[in-house]
Amino acid sequence: MSVIDRRIRGFRLVDVIALGLLVLLIMSVYLAKTIASRERAEIASVERQIASERAQIRLLEAEVAHLEQPSRIEHLSSTYLEMGPVDVTRETTADSLAALAPPKPALAAAPQPEAAP
Amino acid sequence: MSLAGVVTRRFPFGLRWLGAALWRLEHAFERARAAGRVEDDARIRIFLVMLFFGLGFGALAMGATQAALFSGSGGGGGPGWMPPQARADIVDREGRLLAADLLHYGLYVDPAEVWDRDATRQALARALPDVAAERLDRALTSDRRTFLVGGMTPIQKAAIHQLGLPGVTFEPEQKRVYPLNHTASHLIGFADTGGEGLAGAELALNDDIRSLARGSGEMALSIDLRIQGALEDELRKAVQAYGPKGAVGVVAHVHTGEILGLASYPDFDPNVASTASANERLNRAASSVFEMGSTFKAFTVAIGLDTGVATMASTFDAREPYKLGYRTIHDYHASRKVLNLVEVFQHSSNIGTAKLAVGVGPERLSRYFTALGLTTAADVELKESASPLTPKVWNEDAVASTSFGHGMNVSPLALTRAMLPLLNGGKLVPLTIRKQAPGYRPEAKRVLSETTSAQMLQIMRANVTGGSGGKADAPGLSVGGKTGTGEKYDPEIRRYNGKRQVSSFAAVFPSDGPLENDRYFVLILLDEPHGTPETFGYSTGGWVAAPATGQVITRIAPFLGVSRHIGPLANQPRLASAPSAPAILGEAR
Repeated sequence: MSVIDRRIRGFRLVDVIALGLLVLLIMSVYLAKTIASRERAEIASVERQIASERAQIRLLEAEVAHLEQPSRIEHLSSTYLEMGPVDVTRETTADSLAALAPPKPALAAAPQPEAAP
Repeated sequence: MSLAGVVTRRFPFGLRWLGAALWRLEHAFERARAAGRVEDDARIRIFLVMLFFGLGFGALAMGATQAALFSGSGGGGGPGWMPPQARADIVDREGRLLAADLLHYGLYVDPAEVWDRDATRQALARALPDVAAERLDRALTSDRRTFLVGGMTPIQKAAIHQLGLPGVTFEPEQKRVYPLNHTASHLIGFADTGGEGLAGAELALNDDIRSLARGSGEMALSIDLRIQGALEDELRKAVQAYGPKGAVGVVAHVHTGEILGLASYPDFDPNVASTASANERLNRAASSVFEMGSTFKAFTVAIGLDTGVATMASTFDAREPYKLGYRTIHDYHASRKVLNLVEVFQHSSNIGTAKLAVGVGPERLSRYFTALGLTTAADVELKESASPLTPKVWNEDAVASTSFGHGMNVSPLALTRAMLPLLNGGKLVPLTIRKQAPGYRPEAKRVLSETTSAQMLQIMRANVTGGSGGKADAPGLSVGGKTGTGEKYDPEIRRYNGKRQVSSFAAVFPSDGPLENDRYFVLILLDEPHGTPETFGYSTGGWVAAPATGQVITRIAPFLGVSRHIGPLANQPRLASAPSAPAILGEAR
């Protein structure tokens, strides 16, 4: 008996296999679409969150730039910290530090051993 | 001829195999009919139809699966989406933010969805006190959804959103924000709500800023915010001290032409540019032209040296006023002696400079002025760059006048550009507001010799150590420079008015070292300053502009990596002819 003629409980085997394949295909497409749409929604949510965070970061950057504008920093540093431009007399190079260092105090004379009686 | 024969001869193997298979299949049907087994024929046909449908459905299923899982679409409006009016961030040369598009919200009212009109009106009026009551009423009684107010920050939006007003909705929008407010406002400029630049760098670099926005890039300007801050602060102090109607400050790199700082007073807040007056929005560095006065003597002396008409040892008789045609030229404070070229510069002698210019001659002088870019608008990206006012005829009178900065009006940026060849080895470099790569040296035409440039550095240094620019000296920084005081023409009295002056100081630092070293030009200009008791009533460049210049240089040198030397400098120019600090500070023009 050929495969085409074989029957299971009155149904042709070929028809049963074809129906099974059809159901499998429908189920797989349904599952794929469902999983994909869930993933897509999650991705979209994360992307919205990223966009929102980026917008917040840009706002904060602008706020920082506003707070750090030179005139404001200068006003605050001079008013509250009494800071100002460094005077040239207080500026030197690393190589010149040795010359500026105060001289070392002379070493105290080592105590002489007492003479033997 | 059979189908098999045709297929065998003309088609490739794959098609030949398919043709042969179909041929055998057709014969199978024929064989089945011939054998009287019609049911086999029908079964085979049904099987084939199902097979083809199955294959087609399988292909469709695979396509659908791929489209669902691997299409890569993240939905519209994601982070890659960019509104059409988007503009890139503007930053300074160190990446500090100067201008940015920030997310804001527009508020819309749809009267059809408003439940309680009076409650909504009261709530919105409390939350938006700047919105006129008539405008609010019009929105609430309109027959369609109406835009009420834009540019709301996320915090403002959240506050109104929490009121829970039906019919009140929001839509995201980008708004151009300038977080530094007044700082560098004239250089940065501003853009309109449609994303088009209207002034400053926003206008000059509009196309680049728009295209950079599509690539999420940023536009780096040449200015350094620290230098800009120091420049503006010192300019503000000078304005407070001397009360001019306007003021300008410029810092530029002499080799690259990069503008490191540009300030113009009065200034404005580009966030609310429409509320600023035209006077406040005027970029005096680029758009205003002035008779610069004695700073022009630097050009005349450089031209005299470059043409060989004079050397540093050449002498000029300034004992008597100089009669030239119908006019007599005086020195502001006559030295009444024979001056060498360096002394002419130090005393800012009109007589000596005019005699030198006459020696150069009208043709050569005008040719040099043109070569230095003084007869055209400053070569810089800013669209506001104004054209100069130049003499119609280059006769002896024009030569004498322009030699000491009269009869010719140029913008501070044009003066800056023309000064750079005197200080960089003789090359006319274009000014730029774009940040350039390290080591950048633009293609530039030589307009002066290197020798002339080196001599001008020495002469300008001598003017600070022993001439009219003494108050610009910054300890340890080898500052050179030239004072300038130009009287303004007064239409009411139809002549120059000695009480209305343009006082300036054009400086260079460091003036020592090899020509190719990094060097910086600083210009401070005050328009109609007023003398004070501290300046003994003088409002000349040496008294009001030079001190501010010295302060600017002292403050910006560390940012530029220029080291300060205490004590005698190894390469400091020492001119045998330089006088020992004569008391000519306030007298020189």
